[in-house]
Order: sequence, then structure tokens, then C-alpha cells
Amino acid sequence: MTWSPSPLAERLRAGDRRAIARAITLMEEGGANAAALHTAILPATGRALTVGFTGPPGAGKSTLVDAFVAELRKTGRTVGVVAVDPSSPLSGGAVLGDRIRMGRHTCDAGVFIRSIASRGHLGGLTESIHHVVDVLDAAGCDAVVIETVGAGQSEVEIVDVADVRIVVNAPGLGDDVQAIKAGILEIASILVVNKADLPLAPRTVRQLKAMLSLRREGGADVPVLETIASEGRGVAELLAAVDARSTVPPEDALARRRARIRRLVAEGAAAEMRRRILSCKDAAFLETLAQAERSEIGIDVAVRAILEGSAAVAEDAGGSVVVLEARDRQAR
Amino acid sequence: MSQAAVQLPLPGFEQALGQWRSDYERQMAGEKAVRNRSGIEIQPLYTPRDRAGERYLDDLGFPGQYPYTRGIYPSMHRGRTWTQRQLIGLGTPQDYNTRVRRIIDAGATAISLLPCCSGFRGIDCDEVDPVLLGTCGTVVNTTDHMDAALDGVPLGTISTAMNDPSPFTLLAFTLGVARRRGIDWRSVTGTSNQSDYISHFIANHQFYRLSLPGSRRVLLDHIEFCRRAVPNWNPLSVVGQHMQQAGATPAETMGFTLSTAIQYAQDCIERGMDVDDVLRRFTFFFDISISFFEEIAKFRAGRRIWARIARERFGAKDPACWRFKFHGQTSGVDLTQQQPLNNIARVSVQAMAGILSGLQSMHTDAYDEAIACPSEETARIAVATQNILRDEAQLCAVIDPLGGSYYVERLTDEMEAEIEAVIARIDAAGGMYKAAEAGLVQTMIGDSALAFQEQLETGARKVVGVNCYQVEEEDATIPPAERPDTQAMAQHVERFKAFKRERSQEPVARALNALARAAGSARENVFEKVVEAAEAGVTHGEMVSCLRRELGFGHPLIVA
Amino acid sequence: MTGTGVRPFRVLVTKIGLDGHDRGSRIVAAYLRDAGMEVIYTPPWQTIDGVVKLATEEDVDVIGISSLATDHLIVPKMMDALREAGLGHVAVVVGGIVPEAERPALAAAGVGRVFGPGAARDEIVDCVAALGRKSRAARVDDYSEANP
Repeated sequence: MTWSPSPLAERLRAGDRRAIARAITLMEEGGANAAALHTAILPATGRALTVGFTGPPGAGKSTLVDAFVAELRKTGRTVGVVAVDPSSPLSGGAVLGDRIRMGRHTCDAGVFIRSIASRGHLGGLTESIHHVVDVLDAAGCDAVVIETVGAGQSEVEIVDVADVRIVVNAPGLGDDVQAIKAGILEIASILVVNKADLPLAPRTVRQLKAMLSLRREGGADVPVLETIASEGRGVAELLAAVDARSTVPPEDALARRRARIRRLVAEGAAAEMRRRILSCKDAAFLETLAQAERSEIGIDVAVRAILEGSAAVAEDAGGSVVVLEARDRQAR
Repeated sequence: MSQAAVQLPLPGFEQALGQWRSDYERQMAGEKAVRNRSGIEIQPLYTPRDRAGERYLDDLGFPGQYPYTRGIYPSMHRGRTWTQRQLIGLGTPQDYNTRVRRIIDAGATAISLLPCCSGFRGIDCDEVDPVLLGTCGTVVNTTDHMDAALDGVPLGTISTAMNDPSPFTLLAFTLGVARRRGIDWRSVTGTSNQSDYISHFIANHQFYRLSLPGSRRVLLDHIEFCRRAVPNWNPLSVVGQHMQQAGATPAETMGFTLSTAIQYAQDCIERGMDVDDVLRRFTFFFDISISFFEEIAKFRAGRRIWARIARERFGAKDPACWRFKFHGQTSGVDLTQQQPLNNIARVSVQAMAGILSGLQSMHTDAYDEAIACPSEETARIAVATQNILRDEAQLCAVIDPLGGSYYVERLTDEMEAEIEAVIARIDAAGGMYKAAEAGLVQTMIGDSALAFQEQLETGARKVVGVNCYQVEEEDATIPPAERPDTQAMAQHVERFKAFKRERSQEPVARALNALARAAGSARENVFEKVVEAAEAGVTHGEMVSCLRRELGFGHPLIVA
Repeated sequence: MTGTGVRPFRVLVTKIGLDGHDRGSRIVAAYLRDAGMEVIYTPPWQTIDGVVKLATEEDVDVIGISSLATDHLIVPKMMDALREAGLGHVAVVVGGIVPEAERPALAAAGVGRVFGPGAARDEIVDCVAALGRKSRAARVDDYSEANP
């Protein structure tokens, strides 16, 4: 008996809290049923404004998210929050404490908060989180906020799919170096310096602005805003900046969905490619790698060799990974 | 430089010591290190060697002389015994009044009022599920309630401790009652026992009042107002109790508490207050655990360190500022639900440690503290415990009787080193306010709590009746939980609702507006407006909500 | 140890009512995490409505209530609220100080277990895991799921 996603999809689209929660659980698990449900709710997605928050620990992210949600509520919008925390690499368990800072929204029917543990995924987490975001979108949330801690590569990926990507810093955390390392500046739509009342704040603002000018593109459009999240200061301005920067005007749900689908496909393809490349044992492919090892070709050449069709990595029917059309293996 | 207590080398000393050591090691081969709660290793024996190099006048001094290690006053308990200040809180104001009158008749010179948890939460009795009201404290939401609670209590002569945090409505109600009775506020004595907001945020008890910056503002206003208008009241009590109960080790607790005192002193000075004026009224509030010698060493070290902080770090000139005054409460965390009568023995040991530490006032827990609010009978035993220790065991006959003990002096030094290390760490983090905001202190406490629990789990630390010497519980020894009379409480709530309906609404509205305005202006004194609001008939919950709106709701600073 | 299949148990650790002491609940949260569970941890002073909403959104398997004073007295009300919200399958345990005489009322209301202050780590973890398994098996959804 194949499982039909329709009853669950219908209930969650109607805004049934329990259904939303169960759907999120399903998306976390992944698998065939999750994929079926995702397909079923896809037409209803694309309406929500998605906002990602990331940044180093100690920047006051959760407090800022809490204030940001309050600001959204003032405009009458309903909000979904996805708070991501790392699982313990030793036990696989986690204490999910981001909700602690969002206490004032505990009883607000217009806010849905879900805490998600990374469960030791690397890369695969991104996909399930985007599906979770889609559930909240399909359930009718006007805005979905994603919060992750850290400034590492996986956090960058998670936040990258949001319409607006906010990187939160605080003075004196030494985060300027970290931000560059993680490539976070590249993806940020807005930079925030929280705890702006601290003496080192103006310096942090200056440093970030200077680093933005080094960015490959679009650095000039990225504002550096100051907030004091614990007092709710600067948060209305942050929301205004977010609204101004959402990819497409709110009315154009179709265009927004198209943009997100494109990002999701890119995300999924990248995750799948990674999985395949890492497990590829095909002789032709291994030869390309060996050439790179011997410094006969550069890494960028090896990548192009695989991607641009001179060698493509795919799965054959038997499930093993082969290299197709290994035409020009001597590419230089 | 003073002479060492014992002249070393002493002929034959080293040889005899060596002999003892080898005899000991033969009997105790393979013995594991013994550590106290602060992690300090405890040796089986302490000798004159441990006190070599000690400087009596510099490090110890005489009682009443800097650095006060042996006691802050020349005569200590032999001259004036510690104040018995038992905490009372249950049910309606009338329930409180009945109990408090009895202990005053029995000779108490100081009282303490513990408000209902709903009060801590910042709400009035009509906003709470009735089954929870008055079970752990007395419901006092208005000046009338306080009047009833203190009916027949000589406010001008007896010292009252009010256990409530910002914005200190209980004191506001008390001042209202004093005014009604024609008592000059200068005769009102006591302490705002829960004014240490930083410790509340750290040990997560009462953050739910105002935000951290809001609490800071109101505390400073409170201190200023009291200096001016209620000069014999202690507006600040720096509290170590919550942190130790949450799992901080005794050394950590003293380190954190002194760091908090440093923070508050700095805040007051920044406000423009005179340092001597401010430090003179600093008092401290600590838990006393059953780790007997450790607690004594902790307090002796605390006295020494505080004296130096006040005189050297802050440059206070008045010796009153250098004296470390503290109230001790026997630690409820050491008490067990299993075989509760054993707790009488535990409280006796804790109380003894408190007395030998030289505390200024003490509360002893009742043996059923772990289960419910104490009954009259169990509360009586708690007081009798203090009386027996004072009158029968004659513990007050000698000042600092453990002074000079090779162990206690050495342990005092070692605790001092641990405490100073904690203070240094907090200093490096920018002070206690910042350290609490960053979650540093909470993390340290959480780690200590987990480590302690682990020791209980493995049996490395024994608790009688819990992980050893367990018995099948007999219901007879467990006293029935004392609960307030639900009907009396329901009537109390009804009368409160009627009061709100029937009072003159205009003065209430005006007072709340004035309170809100004061909160928004850096130049006005918020606590002054709280006192005025109390007299205008504004309730506790109304004042707290107003300030929450203006100054921010308290957010937890928990680190998960 | 973590649950049926791959998914770890999700446990809400919280306090309702008026008491604020949370040393014990923090320790239990650490135990459960170390046993591979996902713990949603809240500060004290949650309302019953708040807990119901939280438990719904987080799709928890077990709720652990820490009660040291008299907050256990409103646990039966919370059980009713959970059932009304379609969360009757969620297991509930209470830890802390509960006078013997008042325990039967909790059991009658559906509380799975009451832990006293001496409860050992393994006892707590094993119990929560067992209740978590039962809770998952007892899920009643009107979504006709083939694999819950």
C-alpha cells in the first residue's frame, strides 16, 4: 500500500499545527514519503519571505531573531521559525535551546517555532531544512526565519537559500577573520553589528564595510546595520531593509518560487554530485584524480573535466558510479 | 614581619613527621585523593609546617581589625549573638501575621517575609491558578496586605527583611504602612534581601521580572532613594545563595559573589555616589552547606578578600566599609526527602559551621524544607537548633575558635587562592554584568553541578538515605505537606478583586503614568515612583507590568 | 538507544507553575542529550497553553516536568489540555519533590512515572526511552500514514 501524502498535505495547508509539525518531522527523516509530500505541497510554496540569520556564537543572534519576529508580528505577518543547532558528535543527541530566547512568542498563535538538530549530517541537512521551510511556506506563513549558529560552511549553505541572508556580528568577537574564512560575506544580503552600544562597535562597522569593498560583486549594496537586540533597537530598520531586499516583490509569488526552485535544484544537484564524486570508483575518473595528485593538472581543470561533459559522473542502472564519455582525459 | 606561630626547624620535628608519614602510608596504601567541594585536596593531617611563614597581623589580625579574618567586630558572638532571622512565608497575610507574632513573642528581634512565588513571577493573586497560591510564600500584593501581615509588629524597632527583587514593591508597601502608623522612615530597618539581580539572571530564578539593563537601573534608583529617605535600610544584599544552590562550588560562589559586589560598587560610583556611603551598606547572603570546614574557610577567606577589595581596590576610608557582613542560611540543597528526620542532624552541622564562621544573622531550615513549607512544629525545631548550639554547646564563648588550627588556616589560604582566581577570571571577562550576559558564569556553574551529580551517581559522594543506608520509606516519618486553607485564600483573592474594583481609579492611573514616565527618563527615580504608586493603591502586578513595558521584560540568560 | 529507526527521541524538559529552581532539570537535559536524545529545553514558568503549543510544534515524544514545590498540582490540568489538543499519545514524566500522598492523582491523570530526587541517571534515561517507544507506537494520526 503506497502512502498518500494528500491528507497530510491538505491538513498542513489548512494551517493545522499538528499536521505542520508531523510534516516537518517527516521532512527531517527524509526518504520516499518525504519526497512525495514535498512534491504534493510544492504548488503552494513561493509565497513566504524567507530570511536566514547566521553568525558566530555570542553575537546575540537568538535575541535578535526574537526581536525580529516581534517586529514582523507588528506588521500583522505570520511567522515560522526554524532554529538549527548542532548535535553532539559523540552521542548524537542535542539540547535545543534557541527557543529559550523566544519566550514572548510561546503563546502567539501567529508564530510557529521548530527546533532542529543537525543530526551529524554534512550537506544533507541543507536539503531537509529547505523542505522544512517549504512546509511552513505551504502552511501559510508570511515569513519564515531560519537561524543557524556558527560561520562554517554548512551554515553558509543553509542560509544561502533564503531570500534575504543576514550575518550577525558583535564587537570584539574576533569574527571579522572568521567571516572571511567561511565565505559568509559573499552570500550576505545584510550585515548586522549587534550590541552596538559597546565601545568597539564603530570599529567593527568600519572593518565590515572595508571587507565588503573586497567582495567580488554587489558589496556596495550590502548595508551594515547596527542593533541592540536586547533593547529592541534598530530592529524596525532591519525589517525595513529586509523587505526592501527580498528577491522579488511580495505579490510576485510565482517569480519568487521560480528563484527558489532554481536554488533548490542547484542545491540538490550539488549535494548529489558531491555524494557521487566522493564514492566514484570508476577507473577513468580515478585517473583524472591521479593526474591532479601528480600536479599534472590543476584542481580546477579536474573539476571542469568532470562537469563540462568531457567526463561526466553518473550512476548506471546497477547503482555503481561510472564516468561517461571520457573523451579528453588529457585536458590541460 | 610577624613571627611564625611555631619556630621551625624544631628539633626532632622532621624526623617525627617522617615517621608518622611512613606509618600512615603503610596503613593507607593506595588511598585515593580526598577533595572538598571546591576541588581542593584535603590532607590527612596538618602540622605546624603548614603555617610556617604565616603573618599573624597581616593575614589574620585580631577580631575587629583589618583584614578581619577572625571576625568583623571585637566581641563577635560573645558580645552580641547572631540575629535569628527565620524566613516565614505561607498563605494569606493573616497566616503570616499569626506566625510572625508568635516568634516575636518568643523573642525574635528580626523577621523576614517570603512572598508567594506568584509575586516573584511579578503577577497578582488573581492571575494565578488558585491551587498554587500561597504554598511557598505569603501573598502580598498591596499596602493593605502588608498592613495585615505586619499587624501588631513594631515596625520602628524590629528589623524586617523583604525577600523580593526589582522593583521592591514589598519595601514600598512597608513604607506605606509605616506612614500610616506615623513611624518615621528613618526608624525602618532591614534589608532588601533579593536585590542582587545579577545572581537571579545567573541562577535563573527571577529573571522574569525586568530585563538586565532595566534591573540595573531600578537597583541604582533603589539604592539612591534609600540612602536619602530610608537611611537605616540596607537596599543591597549581594547573594551567593542562588549560585551555590544551582551547583557552584563554595569557592566559585564566594568568587562570583565578591565579583558581583565589585560590579555594583562600580555602578554606584559611576552614578556619582560616594564610595564610602555605598560600601558601608553592602551586606551579603550565603548558603551554608554541610561541608563543615570548607564553609568556615570560605567565609574567613571572604572576610579577608572583601576587606582588601574595599580598602585597596575601592579606596574606601571608613572601616565600616571593610567589614564583610553576612547572613547565612543553612542549605536546603543538602537536605533530603528520604528519611527527613535526618535533616535535623544536617541542619545542626550546617548551623555550627555558620556560627563558627562568624556570621551576623542566620536562618536554619526546618527538616521538612525539602518537601514543603515548614509546619509550626518543624519551624520550632529549627529555631531550637540555634538555641541549643548557642546556649548548651556554648559555641559563642570563644571568638573564631578554629583560628590557629593548622588545617583551618591552611584551608583558608587555599580557598582564598581559588576565590581570587575566580575573581580574576570575571575581571578578565569585563566584570560580572558582562560575564552574566555572555553566559560565562552560567556555564561554569552548570559544569560544577554536573560534576557534583556525577559524584552522587557513582557513589563517590555519599548522601545518607539517598545512595547509601537507604530504607523502605515509612509514611509515618514524612509529615503531611502543609498547604494554605483554600477557602481562606479564595476569600483573600475575592477581597483583592473587590479592592481593585472599588478603589479610586484616578490616583492609580496617575501613579502608573508617573511611574512609566520616570522609567523613560534618566533623571527621575523609578523606586520613588514605586513608593508613591504603592500609597496610591497600585498593586504589585500592575507596577511590575508597567515597568516591564517600559524597561523590558526579563529574558533568560541561560546557556543550554 | 535513541529510538525506532534512526530518529532520536524528542523530549521537552520544562517547568510549569511558579517555581524557578531548575538545577535538576538542566542535569536531566544533559543526561538525555548524552544518551542521544534531542531535548527541547525551556526556562521555568511556562503556562499550560504554552507547553501544549510547544509540544505540538516540536512534535515531541515525551514531556519531562520538573516540580520541586507544588507545581505538580496543576499537572493533571496539563494532561487534560494535551489530550484535548490531540497529544494524548505523548508520554509525561514528573521529576522532583512530590509527596507520596499526592502521587496517585498524577498516575490517575496519566503521568507515566514520578521520579524522586534520588533517581539515578540510567533509571531516568531508560524510562524516558521506553516511554518514548510507547509514545511513537501510540501515535494516532488521521493522515493514514503507512509508516509513522
